[in-house]
Amino acid sequence: MGRETPSMSESRSIRVLSPVGEARPSVLTAPALPSDLRGKTIGFLDNTKANFDRLAADMGELLRRGFGVQDVVHRRKANASSPAAPEILEALAKACDLVLAGSAD
Amino acid sequence: MTLLSEILELPDSPEAVFSAFCEREWCDGLPIIPPTLERVESMLGAVAGDPQESLGALPPLWREATLEKLAVNAVMAGCLPAHFPVVLTAVEAMLDPAFNLYGVQATTHPVAPLLILSGPYARAIGMHGGSGCFGPGFRANATIGRAIRLILMNVGGGWPGRHDMATQGSPAKFAYAIAENEAACPWAPLHVELGYAPDQSVVTVFGGEAPHNVNDHVSTGAAGILHTVSDTAATLGSNVKWYLSQSQLLLVLGPEHAATIAGDGLSKGEVKRFVFEHARLPLGTLKLGGMWGIQDWPEWMRAVTDDRTLLPIVASPEEIFVIVAGGAGKHSAVVPNSTFSRAVHRPLTRLLNGGHRE
Repeated sequence: MGRETPSMSESRSIRVLSPVGEARPSVLTAPALPSDLRGKTIGFLDNTKANFDRLAADMGELLRRGFGVQDVVHRRKANASSPAAPEILEALAKACDLVLAGSAD
Repeated sequence: MTLLSEILELPDSPEAVFSAFCEREWCDGLPIIPPTLERVESMLGAVAGDPQESLGALPPLWREATLEKLAVNAVMAGCLPAHFPVVLTAVEAMLDPAFNLYGVQATTHPVAPLLILSGPYARAIGMHGGSGCFGPGFRANATIGRAIRLILMNVGGGWPGRHDMATQGSPAKFAYAIAENEAACPWAPLHVELGYAPDQSVVTVFGGEAPHNVNDHVSTGAAGILHTVSDTAATLGSNVKWYLSQSQLLLVLGPEHAATIAGDGLSKGEVKRFVFEHARLPLGTLKLGGMWGIQDWPEWMRAVTDDRTLLPIVASPEEIFVIVAGGAGKHSAVVPNSTFSRAVHRPLTRLLNGGHRE
């Protein structure tokens, strides 16, 4: 009665475009991670959520005792959902050899 | 017109195309219109601009929002070409840093960009602001809202549980787009209040939770209705108030509530002030849970020690937006924001043929 059979319908094809976006290649070189933490300054960027300060304090102490880290810097964002203020990032970049961006929830 | 998207050749049946898109995690779980070259070109024909022009990189995966990719997703969502300028303007607005789209996309909080279209273009394309405006049933609302979501998923990369970390998601993440009911609004519509001309059309994006119902069947004056609105807005479980400087509130007044309030002589500004002054919680209640202890409050609020002190949920009356939408009935809605995203407004641009098709 004019209705196509499945085989007829599926024998035709349709060309469709991908909806997925593409990222533009960006050139960003990060320095290699230090192979040895002795004498280094480690930073923690606190996202303000509960208990991250405790976790960072414990980790900082472990890094000092067990890995010879010389100094630990702890900076806190204004709140969990906004990016860190540029002055916080600049200060961490200036003072630290390595920064851990923290998350707790 | 040269388009650069990868092309897939699929069996020409609705089921096969739907399955292929689901398998690739390219859709929201609902059937799509296949984005063929012809359909995408037709969508792009509704706006000015080169298909490869990017409005910016969409978080969280920072992929480029080219007009071509936006058009592919708008076709999939079921948009008409006349809807596309609204979609495009909403993406421009969401890319304003004040909107903090990265936060809206990635948060565990169940929020979605609510698109509000004000002005004559809403009427021209059938964007609905009347009865049942939050849906279902209205193509412009449903498909424009859905196009925004598909763009956030396919271009931004916000897939549930992976980059979109909303704990439970939200029905508002399928489609969240309305017009104002300007005919039933006793005050100036939002875009005029913001300083735009009445004949301009303006898109507002508001990173909000799904609407919270405000049922007031008995109040015959402004005070009663606005007390009910205020009580609905001030709840311990809402995100609004914890990060005070970013907290905003949208009041979507039903026409009957709006008429009663305006009938008592209140201006829109007075509505905002009333709600600012009454949508408050005592310090003792705030200490019970929520985000107590990790809040970001101004100094004067941190200095409060009396548990009976009523504290505001937004920083000023100006952080409250008021629109009128909906139809008959004694209901309104409160939409709390995502507390790290501020509402952004953009006039419709890039309309070909003047855009206003009345």
